[in-house]
Amino acid sequence: MAAALPAKPDLKGPQRRPGWRAWLMLAPMVLWLLAFVVVPTAILAVYSFCEPGEGEMVKYSFTIEHYQRIFDPHEGYLKIFGRSLGYAGLTTILCVLIGYPVAYYIGRASEARRNRLLVLIMVPFWTSFLIRTYAWMSILADEGMLNGLLMYARIISEPWSLLYTPFAVIIGLVYSYLPFMILPIYGSVEKLDNSLLEAAFDLGAGPVRAFQRVVIPLTRPGIIAGALLVFVPSIAMFAITELMGGGQVPMLGNVIQNQFLAARNPPFGSALGITLLLLFVAALWIGGRRQPAGNVMG
Amino acid sequence: MNPRRFLATIIAVAIGFALQVAPASAQKKPSLNIYCWSEYIPQSVIDGFAKQNKVKVNVENYASNEEMLAKLQAGGAKYDLIQPSEYVIEEMVKNGGLEELNLANIPNLKNLDPKYTKQAHDPENKFSVPWMAGTVGIVVNTQKVKDPITGYGDVFVDKYKKRIVVLNDARETVSWALNSLGLPINDINAESLGKAKDVLAKWLPLVKVYDSDSPKTAFLNGSVDLGVVWSGEASILYKKNKKFAYVLPKEGAHLFIDNLAIPKGSKNKELAEKFIDYVLDAKVAYAVWKEFPYITVNAEARKLMNKDELAIASSNPPEDAKLEIFRMIPNDAAQQIDKLVTDLKNK
Repeated sequence: MAAALPAKPDLKGPQRRPGWRAWLMLAPMVLWLLAFVVVPTAILAVYSFCEPGEGEMVKYSFTIEHYQRIFDPHEGYLKIFGRSLGYAGLTTILCVLIGYPVAYYIGRASEARRNRLLVLIMVPFWTSFLIRTYAWMSILADEGMLNGLLMYARIISEPWSLLYTPFAVIIGLVYSYLPFMILPIYGSVEKLDNSLLEAAFDLGAGPVRAFQRVVIPLTRPGIIAGALLVFVPSIAMFAITELMGGGQVPMLGNVIQNQFLAARNPPFGSALGITLLLLFVAALWIGGRRQPAGNVMG
Repeated sequence: MNPRRFLATIIAVAIGFALQVAPASAQKKPSLNIYCWSEYIPQSVIDGFAKQNKVKVNVENYASNEEMLAKLQAGGAKYDLIQPSEYVIEEMVKNGGLEELNLANIPNLKNLDPKYTKQAHDPENKFSVPWMAGTVGIVVNTQKVKDPITGYGDVFVDKYKKRIVVLNDARETVSWALNSLGLPINDINAESLGKAKDVLAKWLPLVKVYDSDSPKTAFLNGSVDLGVVWSGEASILYKKNKKFAYVLPKEGAHLFIDNLAIPKGSKNKELAEKFIDYVLDAKVAYAVWKEFPYITVNAEARKLMNKDELAIASSNPPEDAKLEIFRMIPNDAAQQIDKLVTDLKNK
């Protein structure tokens, strides 16, 4: 995902337009996007201005009450947005702090070792995400492996309540999304030109200064790509908050799902979904803006 | 490609098609398309029916009534048999979504326990036949909780703070509060919701886990000692360890009845009725109960249970239990209930 794109041939003027062959090759992709992204999003957008119907999905009309409800501070939905953003933000920060050193080490290791380490990063993907989450639950539970070990070693006398707490949610989120941070950063570190570092040292920079002024700026595209890949999906993540957090506080994903199923209010659910989508767009825009043009995803 | 090879390819493809299509059209088996809850109809029952009648049975699953309704509303899907809960039957009958059953094709109806037939949602069983019933009640880990637990009032007390699991279902939660107040659970209005909110404002902060899919997990990993959960989950817990007792709350409890029904547009109505008759057979119904130990609605199947099986509290509600089924509620009541619980959790 972080591999460098081949340099674009320098085309100018009308030459830049794709010919019919290019469109033909793009057609499956365009049709796919149209059918499964554009059309559903458009339906969602239309629904979000309708009223809930009896016996059918929505009653067609035009109302902005659902959006008013989301942004009304007395309704509490802003708080739910804030909470989901908070969890996503904390997860992203922790993933950078944990993932950067790992990615840096892998990127600077010898080639044989590097490949072995990369396989290790990807091994968890061979198992279903839900099974890995259940595994974490059995580690963190009151009568789980961690508490068993700590009590056996007489470090604690009463089991520690870890599962079904915000702490467990953060562990679950960081664990699930860490590889998405490591891989793009690794991509930038691997491309790092050693001579630039040597030049920094020759010019009198210490290791800290060289890292700050040379390494970080050069690997920034990887950090930003990783941050987006972690932040965006973790805003809407709900399985982990339900399973490891015990569903004690409402998160965006669950609230949206409830509107469609339990509360029988698809229009409000659609409005929440569209608002979330705009948030994603904002996150992508902020992330993309700070990078050199033409290399948005690292 | 040269012309001769091109021709040869065409012929080969055509022969392939003919071979594939011919036998299929000559002896096409009739097929029954079932859309049912996951973990509710044993595979052995499906296979048994398919073999006995020489038909093909296709099964698709859903995880909630609303998911099933949404799929039927979207159209396109053709099912012959669905498995809705009672309040959904009511809604579907109102909207003309169900075929009327030909009860003459279902002689085994006589096996059903009259306690579960001719209920308010379908007073003549014109559209639906009960499949299985269940209750929502209290599971107690009797090794950890020594005080007697008889109702909601004994569960939601400070002493058990963060040792409680409840279903993640707003309508359920609100109905418990209404039961504890002695208010009707099917007549939702602003006043009764206001009172329920005061009760839940005290109850919900004590809850550690909200889980409708597998509340037994929190019991099994030792994270909770008490819970208000489905009776089926309680049966599984009891089978694993006798320390998990099941109590029907004295304030009143929710009885749910899941049913078999034929959606409008079914192409194999008679076959679907045959399936309903098949599962109402005492032995088949007993096999279903053995695998999914909710409450059997089949009086003849109950006669096949042994003493131990009759002792499982969650599968055998006492005669005098205060049980009530959910009725359909208007959309805005559903929205208010969702809002109430979301607000309390959002504190």
